[in-house]
Amino acid sequence: MPVLCSSCEQKRAVLKRPKTGHSLCKECFFWAFEEEVHQTIVSARLFSPGETVGIGASGGKDSTVLAHVLKVLNERYSYGLKLLLLSVDEGITGYRDDSLETVKRNQQQYDLPLKIVSYEELYGWTMDAIVKQVGLKNNCTFCGVFRRQALDRGAMMLKVDKICTGHNADDVAETVLMNVLRGDIARLRRCTAISTASEGEGVVPRCKPLKYAYEKEIVLYAYFKKLDYFSTECIYSPNAYRGHARAFLKDLEAVRPSAIVDVIHSGENLSVREGVRMPVQGNCSRCGYISSQALCKSCVLLEGLNRGLPKLGIGKHHRLHGKILAREPLTQEEERKLKAVDF
Amino acid sequence: MAAPIAVHLEFGGGAELLFGGVKDHQVTLPSQSEPWDMKQLLAWIRANMLQERPELFVQGDTVRPGILVLINDADWELMGELTYQLQDQDNVVFISTLHGG
Amino acid sequence: MCQVDEEYNDRLEKRTVPAVSQKCVKCKEGSAVLIIRAGDAFCRSCFKEYFVHKFRAMLGKNRVIYPGEKVLLAVSGGPASSAMLAQVQEGLSRDAPKKLRFKPGIIYVDEGGACGQRLEEREQVIAQLESIFRATGYPFHIVHLEQVFTLPSSVLEAVSAAPGRPEGSYKAAVDQFIQNSKLDGSVSPGDVSPAQDSALQDAQLRLSRLDTRDTPNGTPPFTPQHGRDLERLFASVRTLTAREDLLQTLRQHLVLHTARAEGYSKVMMGDSCSRLAVKLLGNISLGRGASLAADTGFSDPRYGDVVVVRPMRDYSSKEIALYNRMFGVPSVFIPGLDTKAPDKASIQRLTESFVTKLQADFPSTVSTIYRTSEKLHTACPPQNTDSEPSAKCLLCLCALDTKVEEASAFHATLVSERLSQKRVTESPGVRAGNTNTPASGGQCCSSRGEQDGSCGGGGEGCCSSNRVPPSLDLKSLLCYSCRLTIKDTTALDSLPQYIVTEAERRNRRSQMKQEISEFLLDEEEDGEEAS
Repeated sequence: MPVLCSSCEQKRAVLKRPKTGHSLCKECFFWAFEEEVHQTIVSARLFSPGETVGIGASGGKDSTVLAHVLKVLNERYSYGLKLLLLSVDEGITGYRDDSLETVKRNQQQYDLPLKIVSYEELYGWTMDAIVKQVGLKNNCTFCGVFRRQALDRGAMMLKVDKICTGHNADDVAETVLMNVLRGDIARLRRCTAISTASEGEGVVPRCKPLKYAYEKEIVLYAYFKKLDYFSTECIYSPNAYRGHARAFLKDLEAVRPSAIVDVIHSGENLSVREGVRMPVQGNCSRCGYISSQALCKSCVLLEGLNRGLPKLGIGKHHRLHGKILAREPLTQEEERKLKAVDF
Repeated sequence: MAAPIAVHLEFGGGAELLFGGVKDHQVTLPSQSEPWDMKQLLAWIRANMLQERPELFVQGDTVRPGILVLINDADWELMGELTYQLQDQDNVVFISTLHGG
Repeated sequence: MCQVDEEYNDRLEKRTVPAVSQKCVKCKEGSAVLIIRAGDAFCRSCFKEYFVHKFRAMLGKNRVIYPGEKVLLAVSGGPASSAMLAQVQEGLSRDAPKKLRFKPGIIYVDEGGACGQRLEEREQVIAQLESIFRATGYPFHIVHLEQVFTLPSSVLEAVSAAPGRPEGSYKAAVDQFIQNSKLDGSVSPGDVSPAQDSALQDAQLRLSRLDTRDTPNGTPPFTPQHGRDLERLFASVRTLTAREDLLQTLRQHLVLHTARAEGYSKVMMGDSCSRLAVKLLGNISLGRGASLAADTGFSDPRYGDVVVVRPMRDYSSKEIALYNRMFGVPSVFIPGLDTKAPDKASIQRLTESFVTKLQADFPSTVSTIYRTSEKLHTACPPQNTDSEPSAKCLLCLCALDTKVEEASAFHATLVSERLSQKRVTESPGVRAGNTNTPASGGQCCSSRGEQDGSCGGGGEGCCSSNRVPPSLDLKSLLCYSCRLTIKDTTALDSLPQYIVTEAERRNRRSQMKQEISEFLLDEEEDGEEAS
């Protein structure tokens, strides 16, 4: 006997909600899913009327669903937002060029303006070229750091007031677990925040409207709505340690489906002891981007690439920042250490 | 051809539950062409002694993480772990440190 | 979506196979018998010295146990708590200047009734433990889980701790103790310990007003009815995760009550650092982030008059297992709820297997996770003496973490629950418990993961009962995580009476407060709750 929808009690249920255990039909699910994102936006006061909001669009499921739902809600509740899609072209042949095609189709489908910023124009390096130099071990470090700045720069070019990204509940919960496993108390405290208040000049505030939406429901939403998204893993992506946290989270979800939101609740309620040293945020003295060091991560990584010393930005080499800023040459010993790339 | 060797095996900390609740076992490892090492012993235990849920004792070709091994009352990490070559009359202890036995 | 916007690669060093070194790194003479953290090889005698020193250093560093104070050692029979008992014996027996000076007693909680053990097995285990305990010469208390059915509801009250002592008072107390010992040659029970001041003693006496149950010989300490009640309670819990959580809560209540009834002001738990790392990650997964520091730190002040301390938190389970083996520390293996359960049987079990496996590949896993607990806040939110008891969770007695702002995981879940149910004629502000229409009540106990919303505050309607009054609103009295446990408990009427009684009292009190609120001029309390 088919299970009836627990909301309308008329139609056949198509899914069981992991967060609550309820069974819903397609229509009630769409409604509940969108309404929840709306509640998140309203209760956290993510936007103000008249703002221009850039949606970080990768062509993947999360950002595609985000773009779709934001468009729907902006109309349904008259948010008065100017929405646009913001994409980053990392320059990964066979992955990003395909997913960018998806974003371009999204642009048509949702009738939203699209801006693509590329690593190549911003940094002079594509990910393909970076991988050629650094190998597959630390490339995600480069990509992650560069992407963060790229979105900001794209947003500034377009005079965007806020950026929102497709981070979902699973992503947030995974980051909580990850930071516990690393003992990184500073990030542990920050990582559950739904939005970054303007952290410094030259940084556009960001928020995660899908923070409480389960990945499972995002996939189902995209599937039932027949949304057009690109679903291939990044060809350079394998990250072993994060993979452990992800696998653990998925196992937790299998044991108790509410576990993902339970982990987020835990993260939101941790109280960090006073007196635990937290890094002080300042600005990069080269590009002005926020940084807790003299040089921001991105400038250090770039310097390393340009000098042919890719390890410069990996690990702790803060004491070299002075030399880099002064454009002084490094000693042979220093160069030797930074050159070696272990595959 | 190596002669058969006699070893004393001991299971504790709950690991004994997988061996019928018996802690002490005096076993004789049959004669074989190469000398017996710990890796082979684990395979032999799995094939001949484990009574239930082998995955709670061995995983891959080593012991499940969280089970301590002592060879003649010394940490097996000092003895080359899986590559240790067993001698006649050796004493091997397996202690589970896991909560659920 | 690619998630790598933070680099995680540094610091995570892969395990390297240790070089086979045969000499002790400490004395450089003795031949090594074990490798402890960081690949250090120790010989037998250096290992013993290191192990013994660490225990006293932990107590010395934290300075929370006062000379002459009565300390209850919670011994489960397992390796860590048995090693703790051995360390206390070692520390008290020595005539060294660093000699420990508290008065120990032992408690063992027999949980066999919840774990499906036969009575004979339980008796056998108890006999073994009794002989270990008797050999120490310390007073000991064997408590059975069935005894929760005779607990007074005052267990669930937290007593505000004695007013904070000024810095340096610890030293004063030690000096006074030494002075007194010199005068009398011995210290009579009850004197000098500042923790045992009269106000506190009164509070303890009041809380333990029920019997201390020293049963006459031959009489079983619990009735067969209580045995059946316990079985029924645990059978009604749908998931092993919730069963383990409930067991932990009830065990804690028994220990707390015994400590109060017998005048102990400290309870020592034997959690090792391996255990605490698992507990920390597990509690995060259970939604217990708010009380993480108290749950895993050196001391847990949540009960006020009885403080829980964890002196074994610097030892790995490997060190403990090897110490016990080498120095003949007796321990008893007692099967628990999760014995032989597969890795994915419960959140707790899954977390343990995850941490243990990760530790095998990345040897700093346990110590990194465990150090996180030191960076967390242990202090309870400020509690004044007349603060409402409802500010603490009815079950785990942690500060309630459900009065959070609207932009939170907790509220997001409530929104999801509301949106996933039939939109009944809701008047704004209606209690979730009142939406229990026959239609939604029908699914109440049917499938796992059902939410509290349809089940009402206390599972009325579907879980018909004569003991739980239909109006009982348990949910509002519980912290986030205990709500999850109660959600998985289908027969709420099988909860012990003391919990129901206390819940009713708190319900009445908040109802009363609501009724008189318009006449109250002082808004302080309300302001506090809203914050």
